[in-house]
Amino acid sequence: MKELQKFAYPVFFVVMAVLPHMLDDRWQAVAITFLIFAVVALSQDIILGKCGMFNMGQALFFGMGAYTTAILNNEYGWSIIATIPLAIIIPAVFGILLAGPIVHLRGDYLLVVTIGFNIVFVQVLQNNLGGVTGGPNGIFGLDSLSFLGYDLMSQISVYYFAFIVLLLTLWVMHNLAGSKPGRAMHYLREDQLAAESIGINTRVYKIFSFGLGAGIAGLAGTVYATQYSAVSPEAFEFIQSVLFFSIVLVGGSSVPGVLIGVFVMFVLPEIFREFATWRYFIFGFAMIAAMIMRPRGIWPATFGKIPKFLIKENNHGA
Amino acid sequence: MAHNELILTDVTKRFGGLTAVDALSFKVESGQIYGIIGPNGAGKTTVFNCITGIYKSEEGSVLWRGEEIRGKTPYQIVDRGIVRTFQTIRLFGQMSVAENIMSGRHIKSTQRWWHGIIPTPGKKRDELENWQKVEEQLDFFKLSEFAATPVGSLPYGLQRRVEIARAMAVEPTLLILDEPAAGLNDKETLELLETIFKIRDKGVTVLLIEHDMDMVMEVTDYLTVINFGKKIAEGTPEEIQKNPAVIEAYLGSEDDDDE
Amino acid sequence: MDTFLQQLANGLTIGSMFALVALGYTMVYGVMRLINFAHGDMVAASAFVGLTIYTQVMGQATSLVAVIVIFLLTAVAMAIVGIILERVAYRPLREAPRLSAVVSALGASLVIQNGIMLIWGPRMRIFPELVPQVYWDLGGVVISLIQVIILVLSLVLMVTLYLFVEKTRMGAAIRASSIDQDAARLMGINVNSVIALIFIIGSSLGAVGGLFIGLYYRGITFNMGWQYGLYAFIAAILGGIGNIPGAMLGGMLLGLFNAFIAGYVSSTWADAFTFILLILILIVRPTGILGERVAEKV
Repeated sequence: MKELQKFAYPVFFVVMAVLPHMLDDRWQAVAITFLIFAVVALSQDIILGKCGMFNMGQALFFGMGAYTTAILNNEYGWSIIATIPLAIIIPAVFGILLAGPIVHLRGDYLLVVTIGFNIVFVQVLQNNLGGVTGGPNGIFGLDSLSFLGYDLMSQISVYYFAFIVLLLTLWVMHNLAGSKPGRAMHYLREDQLAAESIGINTRVYKIFSFGLGAGIAGLAGTVYATQYSAVSPEAFEFIQSVLFFSIVLVGGSSVPGVLIGVFVMFVLPEIFREFATWRYFIFGFAMIAAMIMRPRGIWPATFGKIPKFLIKENNHGA
Repeated sequence: MAHNELILTDVTKRFGGLTAVDALSFKVESGQIYGIIGPNGAGKTTVFNCITGIYKSEEGSVLWRGEEIRGKTPYQIVDRGIVRTFQTIRLFGQMSVAENIMSGRHIKSTQRWWHGIIPTPGKKRDELENWQKVEEQLDFFKLSEFAATPVGSLPYGLQRRVEIARAMAVEPTLLILDEPAAGLNDKETLELLETIFKIRDKGVTVLLIEHDMDMVMEVTDYLTVINFGKKIAEGTPEEIQKNPAVIEAYLGSEDDDDE
Repeated sequence: MDTFLQQLANGLTIGSMFALVALGYTMVYGVMRLINFAHGDMVAASAFVGLTIYTQVMGQATSLVAVIVIFLLTAVAMAIVGIILERVAYRPLREAPRLSAVVSALGASLVIQNGIMLIWGPRMRIFPELVPQVYWDLGGVVISLIQVIILVLSLVLMVTLYLFVEKTRMGAAIRASSIDQDAARLMGINVNSVIALIFIIGSSLGAVGGLFIGLYYRGITFNMGWQYGLYAFIAAILGGIGNIPGAMLGGMLLGLFNAFIAGYVSSTWADAFTFILLILILIVRPTGILGERVAEKV
């Protein structure tokens, strides 16, 4: 398995790097959305998979990033690239503020509260708060990417933008895994009382995971806004959050698992677009079956690596 | 000024109509191996929970090194040098032995939240140092061969050891053990005894609850005996053995203690 | 004052419907600690099933007897669906991590919702006029016969359920299973039967709720279940999850709140305000107004 993993990542990256040149327009768009949703799903995994919190409102942060970019570009003329820092920071700050009063809630309640936040957010967008959110139709006519003076209008450019964001996200998640905060999240998910009793301030790390997950989702939002040169409220309804939630659980809380999850939950229905009306019906059954057969996901989490020097010769396990 | 002393004064804990701990006072001095014993249901674990912040006692004071720790949260108390183990063993079952022990290094690690996002040379150093400390604990507790084994698959006796190793990784000043010998056979209990002495030799004060009378008599310097949440006696093991009130409290429950 | 009373009347009506649906959620959550996401869709399905029974089975008859038959047949049909749902989507996951059951519930929700769409089409359908359009004008406040029926019938059902749960042996079994499933099993209670019963009752009540929704709003769509279900679940939490009187109270309060916000503030913000209310309640008093009745597995 480990040898396979050593090959898998480089192969994956190479394939994804050359992919757009082999696809037609429609499938390029699908690929871009795959990348974007993968980023959001990974950000959801930080909160739900790694930290164990029942968050069903990730579309909120995704939308916040998208709308931040849209508003700054549309109202104030900022270039897309310039909007990125705020598109990350604003959702992250909201993530922290919203998480504060609710992280102590029991799982199912947290779930409903996060859905609530999502719904409030969408309603705020639809009601054109402050006159800047564009109402039910959203905001359109955004600029395309421009970098160092070059106008990058092609879909392929957007693809590479999305690809870079995914790589960045994977890098951050890698750093998280081998760090104090990353491990803290695992411990508190496994047994909160034990984690507290060994010195972990669980509340701080729960809030941290929300903030980090929100920031990354916000960045994905910028890419989304760039892909369509527009944003609208429907894209961030809580049904989308349900999708991201399901991706992490059906795929499993690991990088391959999440990517598989995005593929299954999003790309497959695209492939079977001809069966449009039956898609989600069959899909629902698939979700039920997946959970019965693999309750921890298709590719569940495996726990952290420990340094090699700790593994003695006649080792048992791993 | 800051003697490593734990002083409980009139600590009382009620659950609705039930008084689980009743005006309990005792003092643990630096370097002691102090025992809390008493029949089942006497309130011993509740006392520990009050000390370590899982419960807040309704009345009384818990002084550690001269500071009032009553009402502090568990992690704040760990930060002050007190670590505990659990009667039922609360390890992170799916994770390896090494990862479990590493959780004990959390509070000693100097990483900040941004190190979860961006690597720095400081972070690498911190990681290395802490894993090396984990290695020390693995060696001390003879767990090296199980470093990568998921803890849940280990036999009970080994799991107990891992839990103590995890606690020791915190480099505590006071180690609180809740029935550490529960579920251990005679050989394992002997090893535990030796381990506790070694821990004390390292300068750690030990406070423990135990049922196994033989072990208690061997390992403790001083005891407090509790029944129905109240202290009924205190003294050295020899004094306690001869104390009539203690003997009476245990009459009938002595059968449980034959291992 | 007129508006107040009008909104009061509307609120009580809507509240009754929320309450009926909320009962299904609260009973399932109380015993299984599971949010039955498919419940809202079952309620929606009930309206469609009722529609079909009306047209296909009853030949569009609207006599009192016919209406009663429609209600009964729909309730039976939905109870059967409820049992199947439990067997297929939930029972296999009893021992699995809770999140897996949540995903399964979501999957079931998709199946039912899309099932409705496949059978009855994606466009809005009009629910038959089973109850004559009679209105009374009481000093400026308009009350319809439908509202009265909904209110009265809901009350009767809720009181019956309350008596059943509090006074009968089966009811005691339900309450015991809510507190501690394992202990209940050890006491000789057949928890599987209890769970089946809960789904039967919950689905039947939900079916009545769904028919009321059809009667009251007239227009029904295949995807109306989600939002409605969410509101009903909030009502259950408001009242104290697992607590049957709580669900009734929560439903009524939520209906009233919703009506007043829509009447006095603005209907476009109704959802947002309702959720903000929920969030505040969960932060301030997470156990709900009447307190939870769910076992905490420590």
